[in-house]
Formats: sequence, C-alpha cells, structure tokens
Amino acid sequence: MAFVKVAARDTQQDTANPRALEYDALELQLHDESADVRRWAARDLVDCPSASRMLVGRLHEEGDASVREVILTALTIRGDDIAMTGLVECLRSEHVSLRNEAVEAMKQLPEKMAPIIRELLGDPDPDVRIFAVNILESLRHPEVESWLISVIETDPELNVCATAVDLLGEVGSPAARLPLHRIKERYADVPYIQFAAEVALSRLGGE
Amino acid sequence: MAEIEITSADFEKFREFFYRKTGIQFEPSKRYFVDKRLVERIEATQTQNFRNYFTTLRFEASGEELQNLTNIMTVNETYFFREEYQFECLVNSILPDVVSRKGDNGPIRIWAVPSSSGEEPYSIAMYLLEFWAGINQWDVEIISSDIDTEVLAKARAGLYSDRSVQHLPLRLLQKYFKSTGDGHQISQDLRDAVDFTRVNLADRGTTRDYRDFDVVFCRNLLIYFDDISRRGAAETIYDALKPEGFVCLGHSESMSRFSSLYKVRKFDEARVYQRPADSK
Repeated sequence: MAFVKVAARDTQQDTANPRALEYDALELQLHDESADVRRWAARDLVDCPSASRMLVGRLHEEGDASVREVILTALTIRGDDIAMTGLVECLRSEHVSLRNEAVEAMKQLPEKMAPIIRELLGDPDPDVRIFAVNILESLRHPEVESWLISVIETDPELNVCATAVDLLGEVGSPAARLPLHRIKERYADVPYIQFAAEVALSRLGGE
Repeated sequence: MAEIEITSADFEKFREFFYRKTGIQFEPSKRYFVDKRLVERIEATQTQNFRNYFTTLRFEASGEELQNLTNIMTVNETYFFREEYQFECLVNSILPDVVSRKGDNGPIRIWAVPSSSGEEPYSIAMYLLEFWAGINQWDVEIISSDIDTEVLAKARAGLYSDRSVQHLPLRLLQKYFKSTGDGHQISQDLRDAVDFTRVNLADRGTTRDYRDFDVVFCRNLLIYFDDISRRGAAETIYDALKPEGFVCLGHSESMSRFSSLYKVRKFDEARVYQRPADSK
C-alpha cells in the first residue's frame, strides 16, 4: 500500500459567509436529525442577522452536547442583547449540563459580561448569584476582585459568600484582606467561613 | 520617504481587524513585532501611511494584500521530528486503534495543520514509512494546510536548511534527502506523498470540505488564538474528524481548557484528544 492523494480543496482566498437567503435553509438544518448537520447550521448562523433568537430557542431543546457547545460559541461570538440574555437564562435552567456549559461560555466574554455580572450578582435567586461568582473564576476583567469583595461585604446568603471567599483566595490581592477579616467577624460562628477566609488570607500575603 | 508611524490607535484598529479575519490575536507585548511588519508592507505597497494601507487591506477585492500581510505575520519556524514522542504515539498507539475500528478499506486520513514549511507532514510520512508496519497494508492520505501561501510554496518545494534537519537521524537524512549545496531537498516520493492546501481555520468557508479525518495534528497553533477563537478551532477540527478520530496538540496546549467536545486519551507516549463516538 502507499500514500495516496484524494482531491482536497485548495482555497486560495477566504470565502463569503452565508447569505441571508440561506437563513431558512439553516433554520431547517438546525433541527435536522444529524448532529453534524445541526452543528454546521449553528456555526453558519453566526453571520445571519437576527439568528440569536433561533439559536437560543434551539439551545434549550438540544440534546447533543456537541451541538450545544457550538450554539453557545455562536452566541458568544454574536454577543448581541438577545444572545447575552439567552446565555443568562441558561443559568436558571434545571438542565445541569446546559447551565455549566453556559457558565464556561460566559467566561470567554469579559467585556460583554461586565454589565451583566453586576445584575447577576444582584439576582434574587442565590443559585444564580453563585453561578455568577463561578463565571468570575476565569473572567479576565480588571474588576473581578472588586466584584468579589462587594459580594462578601453585602450578599445576605452564606453560600454565595463562601463561594466568593474561596475565589478571592485564588484571584485576590492584599486589598481583599480587610473584607475577609470583616466576613470572619460577620460569620464568627460558621466554621467553614472561618476556615476558607483563613486559607484565602494566607494565600494573599501582604500582612 | 518620511518615517512611517504606527500609533497606538492604529495598532488597536489593526489588531481588531486582523483578529476578525484570522482568529490570531496580537497582545500589546507584540507591538514591536506587528509595527515592524506593518511598516514593511506599507513601504512595499507604497501606500505611504497606515491609513491608506489599512483602506487597501479592508477594501481590496482580491484579498491579495491581506494574504501578503498574513504571510509575514505568522511565525513559521519548525524542524523535522519536533516533539517526536507524538509521532511515536501515532505509530504505536493511535494508528493501531484507528485500524482496529476501521470498517472499510479506504485510506487512513491524516490532516496536519498548520503545515508551516512542511517539516511536520513530511516527518509524519517518514515516520510511517520507517516505523509503522501497517503502511504495507493500508493506504494513507496526508493533507497539510496553512493560511500562509508562501510557506505552502516552500513546503511543496521541500528545500530545508541544516537547522531544519538537525534532529533527523543521519540514516534518514541520507535516505530521504539529497544535498543541494546550501541545504537539503526532500525526495520526490515524499513530496508526492503530501497534499498541501491553503486553509484559514478561522474561516468556515475554507474548512467546510475537510472531513472524515482519522487523525489531526494541530500543534503550536492555538497558542496564537484567544479563547473564543480556540473554541471555534476546536469545533472546526471536531467536524473534520471521524467519530473516535484523534487530535494531537502541542505539548503546552490543552484542549480541555477551552472545549469540552473531546475526551482525553492517555497513551504511553503522549496524551491526545479524541472525538467521542457518535451518539445518535
């Protein structure tokens, strides 16, 4: 046997993106029975105007994790209001995988997430606030530390504060020392907060 | 000619444009590298200043200048048998796994992207000939792609410096290369063994036809991309692979950091990534 060549396509130039005329076809493909076809449709819809609503709708129905990941990437690339709202809504989903996948996608969008993070950290649902703190874990944004400090200073829910204390130990600076001492006082009878805050303080240095 | 100045605002504008077109993100620390090459192209095109040059880049219908610029902005230094442990993994672990699942007699398909000047795909071909008995039973198709048309031309010509071949055993150098006086040219048989094509991983149009690969080598490319472009590239490679096909990344790269599409396969020689079997 040997090395063989089967005609591979050699594109000398980048190609135009799908035209609006193809939008209807892509909508059908987004519901095709083949996951391969659905993934490609989601990728092609990135450039179609007003595709965000369709992608968000499909995201909540989609059973294949590989297609969901592609839809989430498409929404993060689009980054318009509908896309961002759709991503945030995933945090309220009962579908654990979708929720975690959305958190991962949102970590990639520091600039677009900034205004939304403030809202999420003030959400009435403590679970959503915990997911917001999870997003901060690898969100490369200069305000991450100040958001976390604000959480441990003001959030009324113990579990939300505990999540933020853990993270401050990883991403905080000596500026977080005083707030960490204050939360230790506030939850003086909660052993976990005492422990987590001590670990964070020992990592931060600066004393 | 007056000295050409690239301001911080110009750099930012260019950075954003180039990222959208190629997925390659230049950090501010690369400012000197980028400015130097921009000035070089402004002089070559006689556009006199950044503003004129940028207009040419954005609106030129042929895209020729964008390609010229891409060619000099991408880094192409590599050598034969770089990260050799992955080639050992290919012949000792990956291909036996591929063959054990193969349900037809069609060729085993390998895609090496980026090709750079050809050292990696030719290393793969040599490794298969030298260290994989299966080459006597199976046809193998090697396609290698790059965004840079100049390095593709170099790859097709197969001419290499002493530095490129320095890690090759002398026996293989003598067997597969002929001396050209100031370098080495790889044999015609090996040049015929690899199909070099132009692909931009950030452009779906150019990758759409790349499908049904058993193995993809994508080493030391994703380090130039930002997170969202890496996710996009991971999705492109996923669709280029057959179910249960493998991806080999560079030693400092990890698919798991930006994509959950793949499962990790730990072989004795290397850790690689595998597209899961289809779940219908």
